[in-house]
Amino acid sequence: MPKRVRMVAQIIVDKCTGCRLCEQVCPTVAIGMRPRRADEPGTGRNIAVLEPEACYNAQACVEICPDDAIEMVELDEPFDVGFELPQVDEDAVKTLCRKAGYGRNMQICVCTDTKAGDIATAIIAGAHSPEAVSLATGARTGCVELCMQPILHLLACAGHGDAPRNPKNGFQWYGESATLWQHVQPDGSLPEAIRNAFPEYPLDKEFGDMAKLKRR
Amino acid sequence: MALLSPFMDALRPPAFHRTWNKREPAKVVAKRAADLPGMTALPIRSLMPDLPQTIWSEDALLGPTNLDEVRRQAQVRAEALDWSKIEAGRMVNLIANPHGLQLCGEAYVTMLEVIAEHVKKTRGAKVRLRIAESMGHIENPDWVKIYRLEERFGDVEECPQMGAGTKVDTKLGDMYVTKKLFDAPYFIHTHVTEMREGYLHRMLDRLMKPFGMAYARLESRSAYHFGFGPRTGQIVSRCIFESDFIQQRYVGTMVLDTTSEGVVSVEADNDLKALDRRLAAGIMRNYAMAMKILGEIEDCVVVFDDHGCGVYCYAGGIAFDNMLCADVDFMDLDNLSLLAAERHDSAEPGLTMGKNNAIKAIVVNYMAGGVPQPFLWDNYPIHVVGDTVNRWMLNDPSNYHFDRAKAPVWPTLDEAVEAACRDGGTDNIIVFDRTPGAFRVSRKLGEHLMSRAPHVRDRVENEFLPKWLRQRGLAL
Repeated sequence: MPKRVRMVAQIIVDKCTGCRLCEQVCPTVAIGMRPRRADEPGTGRNIAVLEPEACYNAQACVEICPDDAIEMVELDEPFDVGFELPQVDEDAVKTLCRKAGYGRNMQICVCTDTKAGDIATAIIAGAHSPEAVSLATGARTGCVELCMQPILHLLACAGHGDAPRNPKNGFQWYGESATLWQHVQPDGSLPEAIRNAFPEYPLDKEFGDMAKLKRR
Repeated sequence: MALLSPFMDALRPPAFHRTWNKREPAKVVAKRAADLPGMTALPIRSLMPDLPQTIWSEDALLGPTNLDEVRRQAQVRAEALDWSKIEAGRMVNLIANPHGLQLCGEAYVTMLEVIAEHVKKTRGAKVRLRIAESMGHIENPDWVKIYRLEERFGDVEECPQMGAGTKVDTKLGDMYVTKKLFDAPYFIHTHVTEMREGYLHRMLDRLMKPFGMAYARLESRSAYHFGFGPRTGQIVSRCIFESDFIQQRYVGTMVLDTTSEGVVSVEADNDLKALDRRLAAGIMRNYAMAMKILGEIEDCVVVFDDHGCGVYCYAGGIAFDNMLCADVDFMDLDNLSLLAAERHDSAEPGLTMGKNNAIKAIVVNYMAGGVPQPFLWDNYPIHVVGDTVNRWMLNDPSNYHFDRAKAPVWPTLDEAVEAACRDGGTDNIIVFDRTPGAFRVSRKLGEHLMSRAPHVRDRVENEFLPKWLRQRGLAL
C-alpha cells in the first residue's frame, strides 16, 4: 500500500518555457505555474513551480517535458505516503469493492502495492477524484498503466465518475475505458453480437474459467 | 562440445545507452556478465538448426549485417501495397515502436526510410515519424538521438502513453488512444514479429497488439490488464483497430519478420488481419525452441545486464518474461495459469506472473526502470552490483518495493554472482544482456540445454506447435 518517496522533481528555471505540459500530467497536481520575474533567465511568461510535499516521484513531468527543464533529485530524508488511511466503515469499503467487482485485497496499483480496499477506503473518506486518491494512497504515481482503469471504475461506482479535471485542461486521465466485464449479462453470458464479433476468442470459456480461478 | 564454440563466444552484448535522468550505465557498470569466467554463448541455431536464415543480423557472426536486402524487400513490399487512399499534399503519420528500434536497430530504421520515401514520392504526401514510446525514456533509450532520426526523417516525435488522448468509439464502448499518433488524416502501422509478452497477446491478433498497448492511452492499457480475461485482452487491440476512427486513417502495415538471430524478411499488407494470419504460424514456430528450452532449466541464477527493464531484458532474441513463465505453456489457450489478475483476490503474489522455481536468485548488474516487478523482488533472492545501481533501483518510481528484497549490494559482479550461486545452491548462470542469436550461459548449463534440445524439439514439433496451431485455426 505505501510508497517511500525518495526523489522529487526540480524545475530548471532557465530551461522552463512555461508550456504547462508538466502541470497537465502530474498525477498528484504537485505542479503549478507562476509568472517569470524580469530578472530570471529563460523564455516564456510563466515558470513551473513545484509543491514538494505533493511530489510523489511519479516522474510523468520529466517524461513529458520537451525542454529537459525538470530533473529528479534525491531527498536527504525520504518520506512515506499512503501508510495510514483514515478509519471508515469497513462494510462500506466491502460494498464499494463488490459493486466494482473487485476483491477487497485485489492488487490495483502494482507499483505501490495498493489494494482495491485501500482505494475504496480513500474514496469513502473523501477522495473524490483520481488526484485525491493518489494523494491519499500513493497509487497511480508509478507506471499508471495498470491501475488507471480500476481507480476510475471504483470512483464511478462511488458516484464520482464526473470529477472535474484538475487543471481544467489536464490529461492525467480521461474516462473509463470499455471492458469485457461490463457487457456480461445477468445470466453470466455475453450478448450474441459481441460473441459473434470476436469468433477467434474463447469468450464463453473465459468466464467459466475465470470463475474457477476466483475460487482457487 | 563443438556447438559451444569459441567462435560464438565472440558474440558481444550491445553497449549500454545513456538513459533516463542522465544516467550513464556504461560508466557505472565495470564488468559485463559476458566476461564472467566460464561463460559461453549457446547459439539458438544449435538448438534449432532449421531456423530460417536472416537477411539482417546485428552481429556478423549470425548473418549479413548490411542493409541491402532489407531495403530491397521493403521497396518490393512498398510497391505492392495500395497507397491510393493517401491524397497528395496531405499528412501521413508513420508510426514506429521502440521494440523495433531495440531489436532490429538500423534494419527497422531502413524499413521506415523506405516507406517514408515511397509514400512521399508516389503520393506526393507529407510523412512524419511518430514513435509510440509507452513509458518513455524511463523504459527506453533515446532512440531519436541514437539513430539520428530527426536528421533522417525531419519531423519526429516521441509519443508516450501519458500524452494527450483521443476517445475512440469501439464495438465494446469508449476506448482511448494517444492523440499525437493519430492526428493526421492517415497513418501507417509498422512492427516486428518478436516474441515479447506472449502471455498477454497469446498470439491472437499479435500484429494488432500496439493498438491496445503502445498506441493506446493509459485508460485502455489498464483495461487490457484489468477488464478482460487471460486470453481476451487482445480484444482491446482489435476493438481499437476496427474502430471507425482508426479505419478512416489506416493505410497499411509493414513489419520485420524476426527470429532470435535477426530479420528474416520484410512483410506487408493493407489487410492487417490477413498479414497477421499469414505470419502467425511462422512466428510461433521460429520462437518455440527458444521459449520452450528455457523450461528445461532445473536451477539457475539469472543475471540482468541489459538496458531493458527486468521482464524486458533480452537473451537470445527473447525477453525474460519467457524465462519467468518457462514452466508453463502460455501459448496453450486452455492454460489459465497466467494473467490471473482479474476478478480474484490477490492471494497469488504479483499481477500476471507466477513463480518459476528454477530461478534460484537474480543478480542485477544493470537494468532500466519503469515497469513494476514486485513478483521478482518478492519471489527471488536479489543481489545487486554496486551502490549506484542499487540507488537507481531504489529510486525507480514504479518499484518502490525493491527495498523489500533487502538485496545485498556487492562491490563486483563476480562477488554478486558467487554469492547468488552459493545461496541458491547452483552453478548454472543465464545472462539477459541482449546478445542476439544465443543464450549467454555458464558452460555446464549450455551443455545441459544442448542435451535436452532433441527432446524439446520433438515436443515442439509433435505436441506444442500442432496444439497451438489447431487452437488458432492455423496451418504451418
